[in-house]
Parts: sequence; structure tokens; C-alpha cells
Amino acid sequence: MEEFRQVLDPVRPGEQWFCYWKTSASLWESRIQELPPHEIIFIPIFWGFHAEAGGMWDFGKFHPERDLVRLANILTRHNRKFCWLLPLTPAPFLPNGGLPVSAARTLSVSPQGMHLACLDQDGTLHKMYSFFEPKVFQSFTSFAQSFGEMLAESKSKSRVWGAEFYYLENKKAISFLNDSSVAFEHGFSRYLKKNFPDGVELNQTLDEQIIKLAYQTDVGNLLQSLAQDAMAPFWQGIQPITIFGAGPKDTIERALEEGKTQVHYFKELFESYVSHRWFSTCLLTAKEKKELLRRCLSEHFSNEEIEHRFHYLTDSAELGSEFRPYSLIDVFDHHRPKVFEKNGLKPFLNENFRWMFHLHGELEFTPQWIDSSYHRVKFFHAEGMDRTLFAQMLKLFMMGQRIVFDCSNLSDELDRRLQVFYLENNLKLQSVNFLSSINLCELGEGRLITFEGKKLENADDQNKFWGHMFKFLSMNHPKVQSDQDIFSLWRIRATSPHELNYLDVRRVNFYNPTSYKKSVMVNTQKKFAFMKVIDPLHATAKMTNDGVEVELLPNGKLALDFGHYEERT
Amino acid sequence: MNGLTLIYHFQSSQNQDEDFTPASYRIVYFFNGEGFIDPKIILELLKAFPDSNYQQKSFLNLDDLKAFALRLAEEVEASQVRLISVQDYNIGVDGAKDLKTYRELFGKYGEALINDQVVKKKGLFGKFFS
Repeated sequence: MEEFRQVLDPVRPGEQWFCYWKTSASLWESRIQELPPHEIIFIPIFWGFHAEAGGMWDFGKFHPERDLVRLANILTRHNRKFCWLLPLTPAPFLPNGGLPVSAARTLSVSPQGMHLACLDQDGTLHKMYSFFEPKVFQSFTSFAQSFGEMLAESKSKSRVWGAEFYYLENKKAISFLNDSSVAFEHGFSRYLKKNFPDGVELNQTLDEQIIKLAYQTDVGNLLQSLAQDAMAPFWQGIQPITIFGAGPKDTIERALEEGKTQVHYFKELFESYVSHRWFSTCLLTAKEKKELLRRCLSEHFSNEEIEHRFHYLTDSAELGSEFRPYSLIDVFDHHRPKVFEKNGLKPFLNENFRWMFHLHGELEFTPQWIDSSYHRVKFFHAEGMDRTLFAQMLKLFMMGQRIVFDCSNLSDELDRRLQVFYLENNLKLQSVNFLSSINLCELGEGRLITFEGKKLENADDQNKFWGHMFKFLSMNHPKVQSDQDIFSLWRIRATSPHELNYLDVRRVNFYNPTSYKKSVMVNTQKKFAFMKVIDPLHATAKMTNDGVEVELLPNGKLALDFGHYEERT
Repeated sequence: MNGLTLIYHFQSSQNQDEDFTPASYRIVYFFNGEGFIDPKIILELLKAFPDSNYQQKSFLNLDDLKAFALRLAEEVEASQVRLISVQDYNIGVDGAKDLKTYRELFGKYGEALINDQVVKKKGLFGKFFS
């Protein structure tokens, strides 16, 4: 019971959040002093909590628990880094989704027609209310204005992030703004009248869905711009946050006798990691955030990773003495994920490079990102590709990066540009026909490989193709053979003076959240030397001729360090 | 929550131009106390129901949906299966305020069908739950 109390802290539900409304204002200072001093503190704003009668907003005049100026002063006095998280969608950890009672009129409805409701850490059921009620928009505008004024008057230097909350269902991240309620439908019909004054024929269900998505996006953008304008000097940007355990399916599963398993949470955590989505575990109970999940969160997703995600830290191109996350591949699908499903890349990566790749909707073309991702092979496809992305892809190649481009359905204009690019740079093309026509050109260390993914029609061809492609790309990394329910993450660091023989040191953490004994084999491929086992818990490792064999008991975990001693080709 | 629970969505018929979509009862969630029924099992069993829309996981009438639910209950040897419409689920959610009252809705709303042909021998799909 004692341990349960220590773990379950509604004021600090995870990811360095501080929920000020969940404790007495008189305890704020002592609670803040308990927090590790190096950690940045995120303060979600429960905007409905500040509502007073007559459309007024209270920041401490009536209730001390609403005194955000005092809270900011305490944090500043204790030299704490902090920022505010302003919800731009219904927030599943807040009563009514965060809305003031006066604006909570119509319940949000999921695409399946179910009312959105989420269980929090205490077992309280929070019902989400529609953001498409006109009253919500008025209230939000008024709150954003008042909050911005309060920040300006307090001369605070604190920053504000707009937070968009998502839930996961069937591996898709769905915004809490996605709503099929009556309020949404009414708003949508007003939107149609305004944007299509001569009427519009919605012959296909798809047409309607596209316009509905456009309406939802427009409303989301409007809320963002309102908040940004009201808090201009303090505005830091938008952060999408996936809340684990918040979807309608999750709510049912969490209420079942067995509850949602640790394996499911691990899957969601790792899929979020691969998809580069930030997350929150604020809804999870102590029972759900079991020992292994908690350990994994603290080993890989604590302060340093949080600061990266909120752009307070950036990786330099050079490795440092501390471990940093390491992956081999970047996949850019520009929000058309099916292309890499169809050409077999994603299934191949899931089978052979699990958790070693990142999926990106967009290319972050900044000097820091380009430098820090230099070693990763980058995959692009031509469907829906615009000129900017195409030019950026070619620039990455010119900078010496390895690019693999599925040019199926490349537009004529971009095809012409590609041919001109080859000619202008005097690039010699090497052509190979292997299940698809492949062209390779080299420029310094850069490699540009184009192929036609649509010719890879069946799973066998796809496996053969990608197998050869990755053999050619020579990934220089230990191969891991493990069960689907074993989760692993790699990190890398520079060598220390007594490890001079190595190019770098790579650490892999293995987690077994299942209730079965599992085995893992790490093939070192004569390029990596096994160095040591770190922090084994219900786990053992032994050397074999091929590498290292790991045995993980239920809830077992360990880490292995490898020295890399071959130069990159 | 003993036995199985099926949450379904009733979609009324739609008539757009020349396309007519009849009313249907679509399976939204199907679960027991241990978790959600593997979608592969549901799909396999749907194939054996000629009146089902395999891809949409839907039926044209409620009786067919009930027959399907009972068939699945037989396969997994569940003593009963409760069918809750999305509308009923929503009424239950409206009245719930915490985990306890939320759980109660699964025993309070909808229609419980008793599987009085509980198969003594495990069915093919029952092996998945052993």
C-alpha cells in the first residue's frame, strides 16, 4: 500500500507534468521543492477551472488554487525551468475535457458513434465535450486573451506550448478534435454554407469525409492562431501529445478485469517512438505503470528526451560521452503511409530493423537535424511529392547522405527535374534490373538509389528486393533476432579514452513485458565486440560463437554494450 | 463482466443518387473479461455467415447479429453474450462518473443472450483462449 501511494501521485502523473489544480496552493512550494532541480516542469492549464460567472476568468483573486502568477513566482524563486501547456483540443485528463461547465454542452462522439470518455489515474471518468459548440470558441477566445494578459502583467518569462491531444486506436493517432457529435454536424453545415454558397454535391462518402477533415483542420488552426496571437511574446509552438489509455477502446479495456496489459502499453510506447510522436502516461494507474514500463520510461523517455522533444536540446553532429538514441533509418511518407506498406518497406523494417527506424510525416530540413541524422539512410516516395521536398531530398544526397527513392508515380515535371539534375551534376547512372529497374548514382559519400516500388507486387519479391537493398546499403549494426513481444532500444556514445580501439559504443536495452520466458540472439557480425552486461533484472546473457544470447524471464530486462570497430563504408 | 459483450452500431439506410445502402448492424467492439476478441477469429467466423458483410463486419438485421454473437459464444464457451447498442452505451456513459459506475453499464444495458448450448468440448476458436 505504501509503495502504491508513492507511485500514484495525481499532481505529478508523469512526463514532468505538474497538475496545480490537484493539490492545495499552500502545498505548491513544498511539492515543487521535491522535484529534481534539473528537470523542466510542464504545467498543463485546466482552463475551465479558472472560469467565474459572467465570462470572467480568475487567476487567484477568488481562489488561491487558480493563482498562476504565484505558481510562476514560486518556480522562478526556486530557479526552476518551466512552461505552460495550453490544451487546443479536449484534454482527456481534465473534467469535461478542460472546458468550463458553462461551455460543456454536447458530448464528443468518436467515429464509431461512442461518447468519448476517459478513465484517469484515480478511476474518475472524464467525459469529453465537443469543441465545435459556438460557446466553446467564445470561451476559449476569452480565456486565451485573459491568460495572455495575465502573463504580460506578471512579467513572466515562462513559455507557452499549445498542446494537441491524441489517442491511439488500431495503431492510428486520432485527434481529440475528431468529433462526430451534433455540434460538429451543425458547425459543418454552417461551414458548407459559408465555403460553398452555391451548394455542393456530396456524391461520395469520401467527398464528405474530405470536407469534414478540412473543417476540423480549419477549426484546429483557428484555435491555434487565436492562442498564438493572444500569447505572442510567450508562444513557443504546437506540441502534439498522444495520451496512452485515452481512446474509447482503451477505456473499455482498462475497465475489464484483466485491464490493459503491459505488452499493449509497450507496443503503444514503441510505436509512438518510431512515429516520432510525443506521449503522456498521465492517465495510467500505478498498476498499469508497472515496474518494467516505469523503468523503460525512466531509462529512455525522461528529462533529456523530453527536452529534445520540446526543442530545448538538440543533438550535435559529433557523438558525446553520454548515450543518445540511435536508429539507422528515416522513412518520409509525407502523410501517405500506404506507399511504404505496399512496396513492402515497412513490413521488412518491422521484421528486420524493429524500433531502429523513424517514420516522419514531414522532413525537418534544419542544419542541426541534417547533421545529427547524417548516418541514417533516408527513404522517400514520389506520391504527392512537391518541388520543395524533392529539392530537399536531392540536397541531402549532395550533402553526402544515402537516399533511396521510390519513384513510382513521379510527376512528369519532377521526372524532368531529376534527369536535368543527373546531367547538370554529371552523374553516372548505374542501372540494374532486379525485380524493379534500379538506378544508382554516387557523389562523394552520397548515394541516390531510385527504383519503382509498384513493380514489387508480392511479399516474396518485396522481401528479396529489400533484403538485397539493405545488404548493399551495409547497415553496420548487430542483427537482433527476437520474439515480437520483446522490445529493444539502441543508444550510442563516443568512446572514452580507455576504449580507443572502438569507433563508437552502442548499448541495447531489452525488455520482456510478457509473462513468458523469452530468448534473444544478438549477432555481432565480426564488426562489434561484446563489452558488458548492464543492470540485468530477471535476465542473463552469455557469449556464443555468433554473438550474445540473452534469456529474459517475465518482466526481465537488461542492457548490453558493444564496441564498434569497423569503419563505416 | 462474465461472458461476452458486443457493442454494435446501427446505421440507418442511406439513399444517395442511385446508390442505396441498406440499414445495417455493425460490430464495433467484441470482448470478454480478459480483453478484446482477436479480430481474426471474428473475421473467420463471419465468413461462415452468408448474410454478413465480411469487410464491414455488419449484418442486415439484428437477428443475424444475435445468431452470430451466440455462435461466437459457443466457440469460446461463454455462458452468455450481451449485445449493447452504441446508443445504450452512450446512455450508460452519460450516467457514469467513475470506474465502478462505468463497469456497471456493461451489466445493466442491452440484451443478454444466454448460450444454453455451451459446448462441453472446446471448439476450434476456444483453443485461442486456453
